[in-house]
Amino acid sequence: MRIALFLFILLPWAGFSQNYTISGTLTDATTGEALIGANVFVISLQKGTTTNNYGFYSLTLPQTDSLGIAFTYVGYTAQFKKAYFRQNIKLDVELIPGVGLLDEVVVSGIRHDENVSHPQMGVVDIPTEKIKELPAILGEVDVLKIVQLLPGVQSGNEGTTGFFVRGGNADQNLVQLDEAIVYNPNHLFGLFSTFNTRAINNVTLIKGGFPAQYGGRLSSILDISMKEGNNKRVGVEGGIGLVTSQLTVEGPLKKEKASFILSGRRTYFDWMIKPFLSSRIQTNYSFYDLNAKVNWQLGPKDRLFLSGFQGQDDATYIEDGIEYNVMFGNSTGTLRWNHIFGQKLFLNTSFIVNEYSQNISALQDNAFSQVVSGIKDVNGKLEFQYYPNPGHSILFGVHYLDHTFRSSGKSEAQSGSDPSPGIDKNAIPVKYFDEYALYINDEIKVSQRISASLGIRMPGFYSDEVSYFKIEPRASARLTLGPTSSVKAAYTVMNQFLHLVPSSTASVPTEIWIPSTELTRPQLSTQYSLGYFKNFQDNQYEASLEVYYKDMDNQVLFKEGNQLIETLDVDPLLTYGKGWSYGAEFFLRKNIGKLSGWVSYTLSWTNQKFEELNFGNTFPFRYDRRHNLAVVGTYQLGERWSLSGTFVFSSGNVYTVPVGRIGVFHGGSLFEGNYFVYEERNNVRMNPYHRLDLSASYKKESRILGKNYTSEWVFGVYNTYSRLNPYFVFFEVEPRTGKPKAQQVSLLPIIPSITFNFKF
Amino acid sequence: MKTVRYIFLLLSFFVALSCRKEVNIKLDTAYEGQLFIESILYPGEVPKVYLSISQPFFNEEVTPQEMFARGAQVSLFNGTETELLRPDSTFDKFRCRWVPFYRGGLLAEHGKTYGLTVTYAGKTYTAATTISQSKVNIDDIEYTAEFFDVYGGHDGVILRFVDAPGERNFYRFQMDRFLDTSRHHAHILEVIENDCTNGEKFWITDLGRTIFRDENSDGQEMELNAEVSFEYLRGDTAYIFLQSLDENSAAFFEDIDNQLQSILNPFVEPVFLKSTIEGTIGVFGSAVRSDTVLFVYPQDNP
Repeated sequence: MRIALFLFILLPWAGFSQNYTISGTLTDATTGEALIGANVFVISLQKGTTTNNYGFYSLTLPQTDSLGIAFTYVGYTAQFKKAYFRQNIKLDVELIPGVGLLDEVVVSGIRHDENVSHPQMGVVDIPTEKIKELPAILGEVDVLKIVQLLPGVQSGNEGTTGFFVRGGNADQNLVQLDEAIVYNPNHLFGLFSTFNTRAINNVTLIKGGFPAQYGGRLSSILDISMKEGNNKRVGVEGGIGLVTSQLTVEGPLKKEKASFILSGRRTYFDWMIKPFLSSRIQTNYSFYDLNAKVNWQLGPKDRLFLSGFQGQDDATYIEDGIEYNVMFGNSTGTLRWNHIFGQKLFLNTSFIVNEYSQNISALQDNAFSQVVSGIKDVNGKLEFQYYPNPGHSILFGVHYLDHTFRSSGKSEAQSGSDPSPGIDKNAIPVKYFDEYALYINDEIKVSQRISASLGIRMPGFYSDEVSYFKIEPRASARLTLGPTSSVKAAYTVMNQFLHLVPSSTASVPTEIWIPSTELTRPQLSTQYSLGYFKNFQDNQYEASLEVYYKDMDNQVLFKEGNQLIETLDVDPLLTYGKGWSYGAEFFLRKNIGKLSGWVSYTLSWTNQKFEELNFGNTFPFRYDRRHNLAVVGTYQLGERWSLSGTFVFSSGNVYTVPVGRIGVFHGGSLFEGNYFVYEERNNVRMNPYHRLDLSASYKKESRILGKNYTSEWVFGVYNTYSRLNPYFVFFEVEPRTGKPKAQQVSLLPIIPSITFNFKF
Repeated sequence: MKTVRYIFLLLSFFVALSCRKEVNIKLDTAYEGQLFIESILYPGEVPKVYLSISQPFFNEEVTPQEMFARGAQVSLFNGTETELLRPDSTFDKFRCRWVPFYRGGLLAEHGKTYGLTVTYAGKTYTAATTISQSKVNIDDIEYTAEFFDVYGGHDGVILRFVDAPGERNFYRFQMDRFLDTSRHHAHILEVIENDCTNGEKFWITDLGRTIFRDENSDGQEMELNAEVSFEYLRGDTAYIFLQSLDENSAAFFEDIDNQLQSILNPFVEPVFLKSTIEGTIGVFGSAVRSDTVLFVYPQDNP
């Protein structure tokens, strides 16, 4: 440990006295949006770097009379710049969307091969431009649905956007939007996620080899960046679909200095189904999302961002004395200040507030019940990125997070026609917990063949009841085997201080988060991964094969016979155990050309062991699926038409089926009956899940009132061959014979859709 | 706990929107029936041991007679002598069926330890229990038109008593009464086809499902809410007892109770029955009954 710390301190200052630094930002030439993860590459030195989350880059190199630098980004025309390099240079570059002639000239000289050359593994970036090309579901391209198509990621049940990464539970994924945590990224029944694609700039999924700046969850980080808004001209774009419509407005507040974006989406499902409902049923379901962001270029070294998000679901169902209401939503607010010290040190300071709340109530047979719960977080982050020389960057920072939890339940008989007053929100008991973390991560190229990312994160947690302090070493390394292939390895320790009270259904939003206590100890994972990475045909094709093994301690499930309850004090109902997952993930992706897309295949095993469950024996995790295959393709058919399709196949979920029945007769009328004999938990697998989605879009550019105007029709079919995929299985007893019959319920048959998009 | 209600509603909503089909489930191995042993000893009563063979889950339901483990050798050792139990049966007029069991002749005694030995199909199973729990009498019984538990709202009775101090106690409710078929069962009657009562009254024992523990109430006054199974009219009478179970029996019947919840509600974790008898499924334990209290219903069932 001492040696590692010594290296951290010593390496950045290890003699580069004749060097100068070139730094700046890479942005979209048409909108001014920062390009995240773009390449900056010096061909003569074969050295380069990538832009950070704000489009910033910094390269420190030996002085020279002529420095040739290539700036490239997927989907953009590359730029090649020459500079007299005997002083520090600030060079901001704008890239033009689309692949141009210059790109073809420089593409052979540069290495667009992060897949092979970057030391990180288990990371997948999905730029927005790529997301837009993918098949739409009910007319909407959904970020979380796309994430479910990546290797190592599994979807939950049909109709949900919950996802499971390398054998981890859904609560082990940290989903953040502009650094703010989104606790429930789903709309009701999970058909859509809360993320409006038009307001998103970039999506990064990390599932292994986590850099030290990320923590707080065991299995994955889904880092979503919102667009900053066009700082050159006002633009409007929108979409009108069968179920939802959306509108986005963006433009400069001060040309090329400040911009804004405002994006909203609402469903009109409630209006559409009204004519089809009988008069005795009153139902209402709606959701909306609202994204807003402004940013100011305060000076050459300072930039300020303010972004916000609000999403809300509201459902009501009333029929013959039954009334239920479901209301839940997320809201986030992020204020960030970027400052560049000199040309090598980048600072981001963030102040973040995020809140999740749910309010569910039901009235039936004059019995009224209600659950109200919520989390509010206030975060502060200070993060530095230091670029001492090419092939070496150090990131360090501190994060403080204050959680406020509230949860309350009510259950009472409602007398006569007087409605129950419901829970007094001001009287809900509140609990406070705090998390903090210090971290440092050093990414260094040790030699031409070897590079590494070494980090350490020290998270802590404290409440009135208990406190924890942990140390999480992080390491990943890359060994280059040749110009187009490398081997990478990673070791990661992660802790998680929050737990989602497990619910056997992922789509019903009765999810209650609880903090660690003395009994419910922090979840802990240790993950080892190893991968072979290979690019083909001038990096047009990226391929990887990763294997992993992950141990997960302090896992939580309900004890037998227990279920969701309405308070935070659930410890007595929970049982604790461990889980482990291992598998192999194959990924082949083509980013360039008329045909693009990917194939991902995962072969994995995930098991759990709890002393109080399954007679103490090992059993498969509920989402243990042996095979997961996704084929995603987009084909550009001329200038106007493009076709895309997705095919997914996965083994069915496991669930518990009794093997026998016994008759209990002993003297008591209520006990009399047949009871189940279970031999093993999760002993039966549902039918496999497979589905083909297709979509075609027709895009046309024209001019209206002297302005460019783009219109697009998107025709889509979800579940093209109407496969009845299992949603859940239940048993029905035939009354005459007493013979149980298994009934499979499927949710979504073939669903066609049509959407009209416009942009001007 | 009424979360269940709206989960069911949401589930119904889904089912209404979705497609449903019957599927065949192939279990990995052909199921071999296991011996199920069920016996609770009551002081002052002859021992009864119910022996049956479990059936494959997807088979049709069979009668107690068809399930009965015939040809077993069942013996009970009371510390001084071993008694061989003999096959016997009672006729359940209400359900119109014979219920077979093995019966002893010696009355069970408080304070004694009993050893059960069952030999069936070449295998021998043994279990032991000591009848050591205190007899706890009921102080007060009150009728309630509505109380709530995990199954929802019910009418029933409230028993008040003082817990026996210094020991871990597990209580359940027992109500005995004469009925005729005009008093419908809350849950079962609709699936019973035959009526073998010939209009006559029959004797029935109604056992409470819930096990009440004296955790944090040692030696203190306790209250037990019990749902009643059969309909009643004002003036109907019943005999009420409080049973004190041994720990093993309490755990088994608690599992049974919890399993019913998990059968009725798909959102409840399934409950595996844990046996108190090595090598098979079952329970061998004891219960001590309180003195009887005559209860008169003050109103018709709601």
